[in-house]
Amino acid sequence: MLPASTHNQIGRRNFLRVGAIGGMTLPHLLQLEKVFASDTAPKSDVNCLFIFILGGMPHQDMWDLKPQAPAEIRGDFQPISTAVPGLQISDVLPQTAKVTDKFSILRSLTHTDSDHGRGFHIMMTGKEPGAGDFNGNQNNNQHPCIGSMVAKLGTPGALPPYISVPNFMNSGGPSFLGASYGPFVIAADPAAPDFSVRDTSLPISVNSARSSRRRTALQQINQLEQEAEKLSKQVRSLDVFYEKAFNLMTSQAAKEAFDIQREPDTVREEYGMTSMGQCCLLGRRMVEAGCRFVSIENGHWDTHRKNTWSLRELLCPSFDQAVPALLNDLEQRGLLDSTLVVITTEFGRTPRINDLAGRDHWPNVFSVLMAGAGIEGGQIVGASDKQAAAVADRPITPEDLTATILHVMGIDYETVLKTPLGRPVPLADGGKPVFELFS
Amino acid sequence: MRTFLQHPPRSPQQRGFVVALITMTSFVFGQPQYLPATDEPTHHSQVTSLIISPAQIKLGGWNLRQQVLVTAQTTEGNQFDVTHLCHLTTQDHRLALLDGSRVIAKSDGQTNLIAKFGGTQTSVEVSVNGCESPPPVHFQRDIIPLLAKLRCNGSGCHGKQSGQNGFRLSIFGFDPRGDFDALTKEARGRRVFPGDPNRSLVISKASGLTPHGGGRRTEPASDDIELFRRWIIQGARWGDENAAHLESIEVKPTERIMKMRDRQQILVTALYSDGSHRDVTTASSYASNMDVVADVTEPGSLYTGTTPGEAAITIQYMGQVAVTRILVPQAASTDSFDNPPIHNQIDDLVWQKLQKLRIQPSGICDDTTFLRRLFLDTIGTLPTPQEVEEFLDNTHPEKRSEKIRDVLSRSEFADFWALKWSDVLLVNSQALGARGALQFHHWIRQQMRENRPYDEWVREILTATGNTGKYGPVNFYRAAVTTNEVTKTIGQAFLGIRLDCAQCHHHPFEKWGQEDFYGLAAYFTGLQRKQLSADRDLVFHAGYRPATIPVLEKSVPARTLGGAAVESFSGDPRVPLADWLTSPDNPWFARLVANRLWKHFLGRGIVEPEDDLRSTNPATNEPLLDYLAGQVVALNFDLQAVMRLILNSRVYQLSSETNETNFNDQQNFSHHITKRLAAEILLDAICEVTGSPERFSGQPLGTRSIELWDNRLPSYFLDTFGRSPRESPCECGKSNDPTMAQALHLMNAPEIEAKIADPQGRIAQLLETQATPDQIVRNLCLTALNRFPTERETQIAKKLFEQQEGRLAAEDFLWTLLNSYDFLFIH
Repeated sequence: MLPASTHNQIGRRNFLRVGAIGGMTLPHLLQLEKVFASDTAPKSDVNCLFIFILGGMPHQDMWDLKPQAPAEIRGDFQPISTAVPGLQISDVLPQTAKVTDKFSILRSLTHTDSDHGRGFHIMMTGKEPGAGDFNGNQNNNQHPCIGSMVAKLGTPGALPPYISVPNFMNSGGPSFLGASYGPFVIAADPAAPDFSVRDTSLPISVNSARSSRRRTALQQINQLEQEAEKLSKQVRSLDVFYEKAFNLMTSQAAKEAFDIQREPDTVREEYGMTSMGQCCLLGRRMVEAGCRFVSIENGHWDTHRKNTWSLRELLCPSFDQAVPALLNDLEQRGLLDSTLVVITTEFGRTPRINDLAGRDHWPNVFSVLMAGAGIEGGQIVGASDKQAAAVADRPITPEDLTATILHVMGIDYETVLKTPLGRPVPLADGGKPVFELFS
Repeated sequence: MRTFLQHPPRSPQQRGFVVALITMTSFVFGQPQYLPATDEPTHHSQVTSLIISPAQIKLGGWNLRQQVLVTAQTTEGNQFDVTHLCHLTTQDHRLALLDGSRVIAKSDGQTNLIAKFGGTQTSVEVSVNGCESPPPVHFQRDIIPLLAKLRCNGSGCHGKQSGQNGFRLSIFGFDPRGDFDALTKEARGRRVFPGDPNRSLVISKASGLTPHGGGRRTEPASDDIELFRRWIIQGARWGDENAAHLESIEVKPTERIMKMRDRQQILVTALYSDGSHRDVTTASSYASNMDVVADVTEPGSLYTGTTPGEAAITIQYMGQVAVTRILVPQAASTDSFDNPPIHNQIDDLVWQKLQKLRIQPSGICDDTTFLRRLFLDTIGTLPTPQEVEEFLDNTHPEKRSEKIRDVLSRSEFADFWALKWSDVLLVNSQALGARGALQFHHWIRQQMRENRPYDEWVREILTATGNTGKYGPVNFYRAAVTTNEVTKTIGQAFLGIRLDCAQCHHHPFEKWGQEDFYGLAAYFTGLQRKQLSADRDLVFHAGYRPATIPVLEKSVPARTLGGAAVESFSGDPRVPLADWLTSPDNPWFARLVANRLWKHFLGRGIVEPEDDLRSTNPATNEPLLDYLAGQVVALNFDLQAVMRLILNSRVYQLSSETNETNFNDQQNFSHHITKRLAAEILLDAICEVTGSPERFSGQPLGTRSIELWDNRLPSYFLDTFGRSPRESPCECGKSNDPTMAQALHLMNAPEIEAKIADPQGRIAQLLETQATPDQIVRNLCLTALNRFPTERETQIAKKLFEQQEGRLAAEDFLWTLLNSYDFLFIH
C-alpha cells in the first residue's frame, strides 16, 4: 500500500509550475487536483482497446532498457533510437520504434504479487484478491474487471459494451456486478480462415416475420414467469441476455463489425495474419462500430527459459507488427483521439537472468503502454532504478491505472458501487489518474 | 452514560440488545454503513449483572496490556456487550491505567478493575509484576508474532520464496529458526545492532526512519518498536530453549446474537504450554465470511451491518485459529414462527435455524414442479408426458415417496451420477487418454449401478494397483501424477480439506502445516508408474519410504491427518490409509459426501464451497450437517438411502416462490433455489423435446450427453453452457452462469433449428398422426415443461397457429418453449 499522500506527486509538472509562484498547502493541492479534473474533462465517446500481454512482459527487454547494468541484468537486447528524440526502446521492436510518438510508456507500475493468477486479477481489476488460487479458474473475479465497470457505467453503443477476444480472460468477469456486465466472448481466433462470430444471425429457415412472431411469443410466455420468478438471480440475468441478444441480432453494425473478411487483404496483412494482429484489427472494427471496451488476450509470454530467444523468435515479431499497424490505422481513420489503447500485463520480469536463461516474475516495477484519447505520445512517466528492480520515481499502482482508464472513458473513478447485499465498493479503490499523461 | 438511564426499559419485543448512542462516537473507524440509525430508539432492558473477562488480570511486565470484555446480563437472560458503554476504572492508578478498554501495567502490586453500567457494578483483581525487571524477550514467542502483525513475512513481502531486496523470512513465520538466522546473522549484522538498537535495520526500516520499499509499518514510538528495541538490548537472543510454546488461542465470545448496526468487543487470548496466557487481541488477524452481516474493521472491534444473516469471523494468531459466530436476525415484524409440518428430521433442524433468524419458509411445491425437480436432480432426465399424467392422477398420500424410490432405481441413475463423480475424480480424457478415461468412467458407472457403498468404492480407488488400460480405478493415479498432486486430490475429493497451502507453508486459516501434508504424502512416495504403452501405465506401490519436506530437507514419516506417525508397514501403506480415510470415525469423510449430496439437491452446500470443510469455514447449519453425516454412517454409506432421506424432506420439496421474510435468504434453505439445467442435462432435454438426438463424433446415434465418458468430445453447446474441464478435483469448474452466448445459441444456432425442424423429430411425428393444434401444444408442454399448458400458453400457441401453417406454427411454439425460463430452469 502506498501512503495516502502519494497521489499528490501526480501533478508534478504543474506542481512545480504553481509551486514556483507561491507556497503550496494541502488544500491548494486538492484544489489543483479539481482543476486538473475539469481541464482534462474526458470525452465520453472514448472507447478502449485493452491488450493484455499474458505471462509477464519483460519491461527491461522491451521498454525500459538498462544498458549500463551488468550483463546478467541488462540481458541481450540493445536500446535503439525511436521517432521521439531521446526515447529509446529495445532493438527487438524496430517497427514500434517508429511510432513512439503515438504512445506513452508508464515505467513505474508496481504491485506486490508475483503469482500469475493473482497478478492477472490485480491488473484486470485494479484490486488485489483475497486468499485463494486464481490460476486456471475462469471468471474468478473478486472485484469487477475494468471492462465490466465500463459496461456498467459507460454510455452504451450499438455493440455489446464489453467484448473479449479470442477467449474469456480468467479475471475478465463482472464479479458482483452480475453476469449482465460480463464480456461478450468471441471464442475464436480472428486469424483463423473460417473465423466467424457464431449465432449472431437468424438461421436460414427463419425469416424476419417469423422471428418477430417468435420474439413476441417468447416475451409473452416469459412475462408470466418473470412475475413468479422475479427474485431468482439466474433467471433475471438470463432475461437481460435475451434482451441484449435480440439487440445484437438486429444490429447491422454489429454484423459488419464482426465480419473481418470485409477488411481488404492489404490491411489484414498490415496487421499481420497472427492472433495478435487480427485481434487488434477486429478490435478496431468493433470499437469503430461502437463497442466500448475490447479486451484482447495475447499469451505465452512467461519466459522462465530462453527469454532472449523466445522474445526474438516467438513473441515480439507479431507484437511489433500489430501494434504500430493498429496505432497508424487508428490515426489515419481519425479514431485515435477517441480510442484509448492500453497494453498491459500481470507484472514484469526479474532483473537477473536465471540459470535457464530466462527471467522470472517481478511485480515490484514494470512497464505499461497507453495511447490515444488525449494521451500525449512520446512521454515517459515514472522510472525504475538502475537495475529495473524497483520504482525510482513516481510509483503507479494498478489502482491508479484503473482510475486513469475510467477517467479517460468519462467515468468517475471515485464511483462507489454497492454489492447486492449492500457493501459499498469503490471502483478504483483509492487510485488516482496519472494526470501527467494529458498535459 | 446518563443518556441510557433516561430511557425506561422497553417491552420484551425490543428487549435485549443495546444500540448505543455512545457507540456512534466510537464508530470513527467503522465504515459508514455501520453508523447506527439515528431514528432508532436507544434502549435496554434491566441489567441484572455485569461480567468482566478475563476473570483475573495478570500483567507480567511494564506497559503490557490486557483487553477486557464487559458483558451485561439482562432480566430476560440475554447478554450483550457493554465494553465500550460501561464506566471502567482501576482503583490504583499508580499500578494500572486504562487505555480505552485496555488495562496497562505501570507498577508492581495488586489492585482492582471496576466496571459500572446500568446501575450495576462488578470488579476483577489486577495483579502486576515484572515492571522492575522486564521479562526476557523470546524470539519465537514475541518477535515472530510481531513480524506477522507488521506483515513483514507475508507472501507479498519478505515472506515470498525469493524474499524481498535480499531479506527473506519464512512465510507467516513457519520456520522461526531460519528467520532468527536471517535477522541476526545475515547482512553483516546490520539488521540488528545491539551497540545502537535504533540503527538496527529492523527498527529503522519498520518505523520508516530509513527508506523502506514496504513503507512505514509502525510508528517509531510504538509498543511494537519498543519490543524490538527491548529484544535487541537484551542481546537479540533466541531465548530460553525450553520456553513454553503456544498451544492454542481462546476467543470470547464464541457466539452472539446481535442486532443490526451493533458493536461487539472480541477478546483473543493465547494459551501457552506452561499454562500461562496473554492477550493477543490486537496482534490477531480477523476475516469475516459475510462482511455485510458482521465485519471486524479494527483488531478486536466487530460491527454488524444492516443485513440479517449469520457471519463466521475467523480469528488467527500464529497459525492458531478460532471462530466467532455472529447471528443477526431479521428485524422482527412479528416474533411468531408458523411451524411448518415435518416430514423427517431434516425439516426439524432447518426450521429450528429459521426460527432463530425469524424467517418463514416457503410453502411446499406442487406435484408437477416436484416431479420435474426430482427427475432432473436425480437422473438428469425429463419425465415423459405419460409419467406426468400418471403421477397427477395418482391419489395415494405417499405418492411422492413412492416416486422417489422409483426414480432412484432407474437405469439413468448410473449414467447421471457417473457424470457427476467423473467431474470430481478427474476423468479427463486429455490427461488419462481414451482407454483410461473409458475404463475409469465405466467402472464408476458400475459402482453407481450397483449402488455400492461409498466407503467401499473409495477404498478400491485408494488402493488400486494395475494396468490403467484395463482396470478403471487405477486411473485415479494417472490423473494425479505426482505424490503432491495425489495428496492434494485425496484431501479435496474425499476429505474436503484443501492442503495446497500446507505443501509450502502452514495453512494460514487451518491447523494443517507441512508436517501434515508430507505425512499424508508419505503414503504415496513409493507409488510407481511404469509406462506400458503410450496410453497405458502400470501403477503399483513399491514399498514405503518417508517423504521429505523440501527447503527444510526434513524427512517426515507417514501420518494420517491428526494421527500418529507410522514408521513401517507390512504391505502397501495405502491399505491402512484407506482404513483410516473411510472409517466411520473419520471426521471428514462422511461429512463431505453428506454436504456434496445436500448441495447437489438443494443448490447450496451447508458448508460452501462444498468441499472446503475448514473449522474456519463453518456450516450455516451445524446440527443439520452433523445429522446428515451421522446418517451417512448409520446407513452404511448407502448414498441412495441418504438421497432418499433428503428427497423426502419437506425442505427439498419447498416451493421456489418466496415470501417477504425469506426472499433475501440464500444460505438457510427457506425456499428452493432455482437453478439452470446443467450443460449436459439441458442438451439431453432439448434432444428429448425436439425428438432429435445429438450426434457425437465416434458415439452411436442416440448417445445421451450424460452418458459420455469423453469430456473432450467437441461440442460447442456443452462448452458454452459450461461442462466441467475436469482439471481440479472439485465441481467448481462446472459453470451454470447464464451468458449472452447461451441466449444467442438457443435462439439462433443452426444446430438447434435443425432439431426443431427435424423431419424425423417430434413435430414431424405429431403432424404425421394428424394431431390437432391443441394436441400438439399439449404434447409439447407436457414434454418440455412437464405440465399441462396454461391458459396463457394456449392463447400464445393459438395465435401462432392462426398466423401460419401448422408445421411452422408448431416449430415456432416449440422454439418459444425451448427459450422459456420454465424450460431452462429447475424450479
